[in-house]
Amino acid sequence: MSIQAMIDEWYPVGIFAQLDEAGRNTMLMGEPIVVTKDGNARVTGRNGRSLPVKVRYGHVWTSLGEPKKDLFPIPEADQPGRRFVDVGVVRVRCSPLRAVENFLDIAHFPFVHTDILGAEPHTEVQNYKVEIREDVDEVWATQVKFYQPQAAKSASGGITTEYMYRVAAPTCTVLYKTCPPRPTEWDVITLFVQPLTEELCDVWPWMALFDDETSMTDLIHFQQTIFLQDRSILENQIPRLLPLDPGMEIPTRADMTSIAYRRWLKRHNYTYGAQLVAQ
Amino acid sequence: MKLYDYILSPSCYKVRLMAALTGVKLELRPVDFHPGLEHRGLALLALNPAGSIPIIEDGDLILTESSAILVYLAAQAAPEWLAGTKPEEAARVQQWLSFSGRLTANLGGARLHEMLLRTGDIDALQAQGIAALRELEAGLVEQNLRGQRFLAADRPTVADIACFPYVALAPDGGVSLDPYPAIRLWSRALRSLHGFVEMPGIHRLHELKPEPTVEESKA
Amino acid sequence: MHTLTTGPWTPVALSADLPVGTVIPARIPAGSIALWRSESGRLSASADRCPHRGMSLSHGFVRGENLSCIYHGWSYARSGKCVRIPAHPGLEPPEAIRAKTFAVEEAGGVIWVATDEAATTPPVLEGLMPLRSMTTSAGIAAIEAAAGAKATAEGLVVPAENADTLCLLLSARDDGQTLIHVLLKGETTADSRIAASRVAESLRRAAEDLQKKGIAA
Repeated sequence: MSIQAMIDEWYPVGIFAQLDEAGRNTMLMGEPIVVTKDGNARVTGRNGRSLPVKVRYGHVWTSLGEPKKDLFPIPEADQPGRRFVDVGVVRVRCSPLRAVENFLDIAHFPFVHTDILGAEPHTEVQNYKVEIREDVDEVWATQVKFYQPQAAKSASGGITTEYMYRVAAPTCTVLYKTCPPRPTEWDVITLFVQPLTEELCDVWPWMALFDDETSMTDLIHFQQTIFLQDRSILENQIPRLLPLDPGMEIPTRADMTSIAYRRWLKRHNYTYGAQLVAQ
Repeated sequence: MKLYDYILSPSCYKVRLMAALTGVKLELRPVDFHPGLEHRGLALLALNPAGSIPIIEDGDLILTESSAILVYLAAQAAPEWLAGTKPEEAARVQQWLSFSGRLTANLGGARLHEMLLRTGDIDALQAQGIAALRELEAGLVEQNLRGQRFLAADRPTVADIACFPYVALAPDGGVSLDPYPAIRLWSRALRSLHGFVEMPGIHRLHELKPEPTVEESKA
Repeated sequence: MHTLTTGPWTPVALSADLPVGTVIPARIPAGSIALWRSESGRLSASADRCPHRGMSLSHGFVRGENLSCIYHGWSYARSGKCVRIPAHPGLEPPEAIRAKTFAVEEAGGVIWVATDEAATTPPVLEGLMPLRSMTTSAGIAAIEAAAGAKATAEGLVVPAENADTLCLLLSARDDGQTLIHVLLKGETTADSRIAASRVAESLRRAAEDLQKKGIAA
């Protein structure tokens, strides 16, 4: 494990709209921090040191180091007509990297999100494209297609849904998904992961959707449903840390995004929450 | 009949499950429990000053407390889910309904702490949860020895539905279910019932469906 | 430290607790296992870890003669060989994808699993009828102290006050817990079985009390 390569990254530590003066006592990569509000957001680390702060995508972001880059862009966050959904925190006893990797996976839909995001016999994962975009240093998977039995609350039948996946930071990932009311746009669903320790994380899903029909509470509950179905998987993977040793877990073609993600982590030495050598 | 519902609440799930098993149609009114704390807002406190969900609205009738709601649904749609006339059976149903309140406090408290970051003494909650699971396990062992597969009888009753959700979701609060073979068999029997529905954290029993024939696409 | 000598065999569960078409978690000295019984009734034990993404296989499901992982539905035969990857329906899974398996034997209503290739067979428990299994945080010494009797080499303890009716089969686990299989002797009735279950609960309570006080340490 090395904390160094990941220390200058931005991490989500709270929903901005929910901050109060009393503050939120939490942790970032093992260091106790306090997130408070005095007009803007403030984050204090060990021994009262002030940490850098950004408020973006509904959340407060901070870093234990000195961020060299701005927070990754999500242009859709500034697009008129979208609804922005703070889904709320869920704690998971797993590596932050495992939480991201699960989010990048579609093959589990029929078994874990049964009758919502997938259903037998529609289990096949067709080939898709994966690349590491060197200019932005991000992992991208495109032309990902999967049969979804209930595409939206209003949909009566199944459709083939198209997805694009993007890893924008070691513990932050963005999903672009077919948007039924606007075929030319993508719905944006993110998973922002706050690493508390290498084996414990707070997960902050956030969405930017074109949907004027569904109530905000329904939108929140749909995403909470999906994530809570994943949680019982994430807490039962062995080891808790994400293995980067290729001999430890066997991927197939369906796992190309996960393979690229693991390679990218290794290349950058992003190993907080990873296991380098099989034990 | 309108249910003020939260998809992640095991107590609300009791009501949805009971309704599904007995064919009662519910109108769901989602409550933003997390992160919005809507159950503690003025509108919901007017319905239930205790600030808890589920709440049922049926005409003029407002019902709170999941055990009471289970009895209401069963009495209307499926009386065989209530206790019969045998004194022992009637008492057992009441005993496990009361017991289910403890599960909400201990296993439910541990789950809220571990999952949604609510405050609580996690060690005490988990220890009390384990004590309750042992009690349930022993009760089910004795019922099996009496030739009865469920908590109060050889058929499921409201008592089983009252206890099942917090037990099945104990691992969400860091409490393992591995040490309880009788609970595992009981849980499986409930999950196999016709009309059973899941909630997040309780997976589908895929073995209840035969393995599908999947053809490779020609693409 | 007590060393019980059941050879490579560990008594992991009672037959009645593993119906046809189900999978349960269990532990042997080599680690956690998924113990499962196929629809035709054949028993298997595999490492509790899917080689694909590390998911615990005891959370999975049994269809026909195979065990499937709940995460992506990868299915394993009794031999441990992967026989199906639902994401690639046309693919014959490579030979290399295997879950590690262990030898299993069932005798007298108790399921035993061997750590190594077993040349021997598990101990035979004559005249004992399994009642239930329970787990305790007490160690073997504390259980012996609570029962007022010593364990045999096979891990059998006959509680002094219930010598005519009860026998406990103990198995120390690597996580510090002890698995107790409660066995009955002689003729029993429903009432006597219920009474025996309650006695076992009391013994566990007493043993954990002793363990906590450090008396049996």
